Amino acid sequence: MKTIAITGKGGTGKTAVAALLIKYLTEGDNTILAIDADPDTNLPAALGDTVEKTVGEMRESLLEERDELPPDIDKKSLLEGKIYSVLVERPRYDLLVMGRPEGPGCYCYANDLLRGIMDRIVKNYEITIIDTAAGLEHLSRGIIRDVTDLLVVTDGSRRGLETAERIRDLVAELDLKIDNLYVVLNKVTDTNRERLQEYANELDLKVVGMIPFDDNIARFDLEGLPLAGLPEDSLSVIEVAKIAEKIGL
Amino acid sequence: MAEEFPFEMSPMYEGERIRKDDLYVELAGPKSKGFELVRSADMSEVEDGKVTLIGPDLKDMEEGSTYPFAMIYRIAGEGVEPDIESIVERRNHDFQNYIQGYMHLNQRYDIWVRISKAAVEKGLESLKQIAEATMMMFKNELPFIEKIEATYITDLAEVEKELEEAKKVYEARDARTRDLHDEDVDTFYGCTLCQSFAPTNVCVVTPDRVSLCGAINWFDGRAAAKVDPEGPQFPIEKGEVIDEIGGEYSGVNEAAVRLSGGMYDRIKLHSFFEYPHTSCGCFEVVGFYMPEVDGIGWVDRDFKGTAPNGLPFSTMAGQTGGGRQVVGFLGIGINYFRSPKFLQADGGWKKVVWMPKALKDKVSDSIPESIAVATEEDATDIESLKKFLIEKKHPVVETWTAEEEEEEKKEEAAPAAAPAEGAAPPSGIPTVAPMQMPSMTVSGGSGGGLKIVLSNAKITVDKIIVKKKE
Repeated sequence: MKTIAITGKGGTGKTAVAALLIKYLTEGDNTILAIDADPDTNLPAALGDTVEKTVGEMRESLLEERDELPPDIDKKSLLEGKIYSVLVERPRYDLLVMGRPEGPGCYCYANDLLRGIMDRIVKNYEITIIDTAAGLEHLSRGIIRDVTDLLVVTDGSRRGLETAERIRDLVAELDLKIDNLYVVLNKVTDTNRERLQEYANELDLKVVGMIPFDDNIARFDLEGLPLAGLPEDSLSVIEVAKIAEKIGL
Repeated sequence: MAEEFPFEMSPMYEGERIRKDDLYVELAGPKSKGFELVRSADMSEVEDGKVTLIGPDLKDMEEGSTYPFAMIYRIAGEGVEPDIESIVERRNHDFQNYIQGYMHLNQRYDIWVRISKAAVEKGLESLKQIAEATMMMFKNELPFIEKIEATYITDLAEVEKELEEAKKVYEARDARTRDLHDEDVDTFYGCTLCQSFAPTNVCVVTPDRVSLCGAINWFDGRAAAKVDPEGPQFPIEKGEVIDEIGGEYSGVNEAAVRLSGGMYDRIKLHSFFEYPHTSCGCFEVVGFYMPEVDGIGWVDRDFKGTAPNGLPFSTMAGQTGGGRQVVGFLGIGINYFRSPKFLQADGGWKKVVWMPKALKDKVSDSIPESIAVATEEDATDIESLKKFLIEKKHPVVETWTAEEEEEEKKEEAAPAAAPAEGAAPPSGIPTVAPMQMPSMTVSGGSGGGLKIVLSNAKITVDKIIVKKKE
């Protein structure tokens, strides 16, 4: 059982990497749980799925209706049922979208229930892939726990790598106990390749893969096509498969 | 025993999810109808071990499709009575989840069952096998059940017909549950979820008092404590009743000492002015005493304006929160307004003078008709509030004249006498503890005197002089 979280600054292509990783893994014998933990919610479109309801909305509906419920109803079981009802079931993978962030009220209890439910759900899958924003919100609250590997995707910019450095600090600060933290350099070209690798070395960041700038991705993005449908010979598809092997998937 | 069945039964299969790919059939759930129900009956009425199936069985079902599903159990035994039906019914979820290749979610008319292809391949061919296995676990785990029989229904018309009957049973049960009060139980529940921001918070959840965040009622506390007594919700034995009206119990006071790290040793669950419940920071509504009208106003998190005392929710929440017992302010959960014991030590609704309209509308069913509570549409400051209360003959107005007379008398008798320190409110003005530093809190108790609690403090002092005020 492995849980891989993919994060990075907005626009670096972290969702593309997550989608391609899921694509690669579902071609094997594994059963995957895909979690979109970014409030921007791009993973479903990248996979070609539509999602109607999110975990956040289910948590909210529990909080809204709680005073009208039978007083002795088991709220954990109720929330668990609600979350199962929003899980998108696809061949070889299931997709869960976390959705909206918390409102101003108190989420201590609802999140405590959710933590237990997420622990139970994750146990049913060999691999869990999480697409999460750089703030690592659901990880920091412990809603999703026991992440084994964290992949920070950066683009061809210095700032992308600086984000990776900050995420490393955040992981230490939050005491997240992640086994491995890797950097995936994305949109790499012949002109920036060497300099990026050097800078990563300076920051003591471990680069696990370099995904070349891929015209196919640019074309799919422009046409609004799901990236999971990228041709097998696309540069990015080939490189993501190598990354998966390197991190033991 | 388990050898009779073509599947394993063990707690290790709890939480086992059956994915769409692995599904043989789905029963009830969001796409269909169903329910589960346990009824108590006389010994003579129950044929032990009998299973009746109405409608198609597994082998007649089309793979990959969804069918309606109802499970009705009738139980009998010397210790079996209607009150335990719901507790026994809840266990159906636990026991059925022990069955390998069988997923059970939710309860009552929200149940959702899935049976895996693998289970069918291993020899599961009838729902009767599921019923027999479940009944076996019921009898093993709950020995007071001497006889049990089951009726499983997969026929839509029959499920719909029986569902109407079941709903009546659920409603009657809910009415009984809502009628449970503090005096009917021996155990309350505590919760420490907020202690990360409010380290001295003592959250006590009782049948008549929901948690301050509004999310946890007494039943939630009971359910959570049963699963994990060491978890964030745990039992608090009531102990001796010290003040029935105010809601003071020896067990709660002992828990208060333990949970607040010695900061508080008395809590009255239904009092605003005397040893009130601590306020965490997660509370949905904050109450504030207005000495000018001798009444309590309430403001909730969603109200963006300022209350008649000139303060918005956020300011009062800041003054009150952090797990402190602050006389004059009190954080509560919205559902506490609906409690029959709502601030009964202080006269309950008779002391309530103001709340935002949206909040008032939410709880209007619980406000006695004789009491007019002002909203932001009626009063925005103390003057307009006074006018409203006089005009509407609010019960607090009577106390004004009584107090004025009393004060006049006092002045005549002993004009120079200073009010006793820590005089019992409501005549006292709500004061936030005067000396507050992060690691040090000083609060005047209403019984007089002063208590100082220092935690992790390093203090170097050359000289301290404490003098009685001349």
